[in-house]
Amino acid sequence: MSHIKIDGNKCKSCYLCMDVCPKKLIKKSEKIGKTGNCIVEFDDKNQECIGCAQCALVCPDMAIVEVYR
Amino acid sequence: MQQVYSIPKSIKQNSTFTFCPGCDHGLAIKLVAQVIDELELKENTIAVASSGCSVLLYDFLDVDCIESPHGRACAVATGIKRAHKAQGYNKFVFTYQGDGDFASIGLAESLHSALRGENITAICINNTNYGMTGGQLGPTTAMGQITTTSQSGRNKEYHGFPIKTAEHIALCEGTSFSARVALYDIKNIINAKKQIKKAFEYQKKGLGFSFVEILSTCPTNWKLTPQDSHKKIENELIKVYPLGIFKDIEND
Ligand SMILES: Cc1ncc(C[n+]2csc(CCOP(=O)(O)OP(=O)(O)O)c2C)c(N)n1
Ligand code: SF4
Ligand code: SF4
Repeated sequence: MSHIKIDGNKCKSCYLCMDVCPKKLIKKSEKIGKTGNCIVEFDDKNQECIGCAQCALVCPDMAIVEVYR
Repeated sequence: MQQVYSIPKSIKQNSTFTFCPGCDHGLAIKLVAQVIDELELKENTIAVASSGCSVLLYDFLDVDCIESPHGRACAVATGIKRAHKAQGYNKFVFTYQGDGDFASIGLAESLHSALRGENITAICINNTNYGMTGGQLGPTTAMGQITTTSQSGRNKEYHGFPIKTAEHIALCEGTSFSARVALYDIKNIINAKKQIKKAFEYQKKGLGFSFVEILSTCPTNWKLTPQDSHKKIENELIKVYPLGIFKDIEND
């Protein structure tokens, strides 16, 4: 099952990853991060992730730390 | 199932980038780190940081680093490369500089390093302003662009024209490679990494001065979201600063 791992301590809530996920599996969470905004979370109830790693590639803060395919 | 992405080995573990949210500096450093990993350069590299947001590089990159005075990174890199060579060591030496650093205060050092064909690589982040000091007009600020020191937009009567750095470097006979890339979408990010890799390989082959200008965002000083900053590059700035390879001695 493809999936990603997000490090909430590194996320700066820029939301660039949300735009590139082809399956729209990255969403704003309720948790407030270091910048005072909601950090993102991986929400893949239907196991749609294809492990393309595009989110990890665009994240400027290396907050998406691992991708498995 | 296998792991298809991990943090580059050349990035200090558990380090957190201190750039503003969405800033392309982080992405550029990540690509540089990936290339260092792929070419197995980590143990043999000396990185030269400059003044500006780019200086933060040494907080994250797990290679030997030195900070140079504002604009002098290519001169410092020249000294490091030559001094090691004289002792029989072929170190991999690259600079990571802002546009203000590389093409304004340091233009003489930068251009002459290219003219001398120093066997070093320079990465220049062109975010069209002086980021660290608060978004003043820089040598690369586009015509009409509003900055803290060009409140009604850059105009030719008062400020003159911006510099096309990659094209100028390409004109130097000592240059082996000069390209301009951008980071506003996946396709461009992948291409940017490819050109950085080529520039690094040219140094490894001893072909002379290699250069990559990365057209980057500065969301904070542009007063735009990271998304709108990328749109600004895609819709406006690549018309001013066309992407492409301006010199490639192995393929010209
Ligand atoms: C000799 C000297 N003059 C001025 C400064 C102040 N200063 C620090 S960073 C900077 C601008 C850097 O801009 P740029 O090179 O475009 O990099 P960015 O911050 O945008 O990445 C200036 C003018 C300095 N550190 N040293
Ligand atoms: S791209 Fe990275 S820093 Fe930005 S919201 Fe996504 S995980 Fe957070
Ligand atoms: S001031 Fe601009 S260049 Fe510097 S970290 Fe912030 S967004 Fe990036």
